[in-house]
Amino acid sequence: MRGHCYTLLMIGLPFAGDGLVHASLLGLGILAALLFYAYEKRRRGLSDPRLWPIAGFALAFGAIGSRLLTWDVSRQVSLADWWGNGDRSILAGLVGAWLGVHLGKRLTGYRESTGDLLAPAVALALAIGRVGCLLTELPGTPTGGGWGISLTPGQAAVLGGPAGVGLHPSFAYEIVFHVAALALMWRYRDRLPRPGDLFICYVTSYALFRFGVEFVRGNEVLWLGMSRPQWFLLAVLPLLFRRMLRVFGEPLRPELKGTAA
Amino acid sequence: MSEDNPEEAWSPLPPPHDEEPSPKPKRGSMVLGILLGATALYALYFGTTAGIAPDEGYKTDLAGPAALIPIGAYLAVAGALAIWPRTSRWGAGLLFGLGIFILLGGGICVMALSQMSSRI
Repeated sequence: MRGHCYTLLMIGLPFAGDGLVHASLLGLGILAALLFYAYEKRRRGLSDPRLWPIAGFALAFGAIGSRLLTWDVSRQVSLADWWGNGDRSILAGLVGAWLGVHLGKRLTGYRESTGDLLAPAVALALAIGRVGCLLTELPGTPTGGGWGISLTPGQAAVLGGPAGVGLHPSFAYEIVFHVAALALMWRYRDRLPRPGDLFICYVTSYALFRFGVEFVRGNEVLWLGMSRPQWFLLAVLPLLFRRMLRVFGEPLRPELKGTAA
Repeated sequence: MSEDNPEEAWSPLPPPHDEEPSPKPKRGSMVLGILLGATALYALYFGTTAGIAPDEGYKTDLAGPAALIPIGAYLAVAGALAIWPRTSRWGAGLLFGLGIFILLGGGICVMALSQMSSRI
């Protein structure tokens, strides 16, 4: 009976390796993020035409960063080959987008903070985009129980995971995180002490979450049982914590009624 | 006085005069920029790809460093258009198109997936 219940908790991977499904959901995520950005810009009463080019720099440099910032020189692969066949990373994409925003602001002369405007849109894009990963990619490490996502032998051979055992749905965990983060950002979007604080809170919490979820993601272990993203996050987290101390060093703003569109 | 009114002091929505004056009225179509930019990049890269072999990768004229030159040139033009007020929406659309092309056209995870799907 117990084993039967476990069997019911095993689900398959419906679109393993389907690039079209993956790309479609990623595209849907980008579209939703752009629409949300437009809405939030309008809600905040921001009509500065430089905000669209800044968002454009964020997306373009995020995309480029997701490819180039993972370049591993120790593998002796040229940058051009890495561009075509190297690893891709959401974390590297976020770093690229951050650089793109700063470059865009510098080039256009825009000096106000844009992080609070961008953070909810990024969370929405990642929540939708990760559905594509959930449906198509190797989900994670074995759960050790009779539950999780189960691969057929054919899928296991292609994706590089074990067949017939429950695997952690690590992308589902990440989707839940981004949806929850979006809800919290929506709740507190106008209440943090300074412009940019919402972005800092989101990025820091994602870094912490991602560090934890990497233990069940199944990425290649680099050193001391931790993956490359975890080592990157270990280097970045102290800086983010320092910024977070500043955010919570001041009281929240009182909630305002009837000011948002 | 604003210090007598804490609601006003905490207001999250900047008053209109706080925002820097807009450099110029917006011109150009962002959506058209996205469509044209992404389509042009797809046409360039897929037009020069002779075929995709699962074990050998893409067979294309834009191999090696040549693959990065169009992207660099496109980025320079789109960036220049984006920072010039009269064409900022065009430029923003072209930048979005570049991001969409890179992410969706063999971007994050998709390269590996395309190779996987051919073997499933």
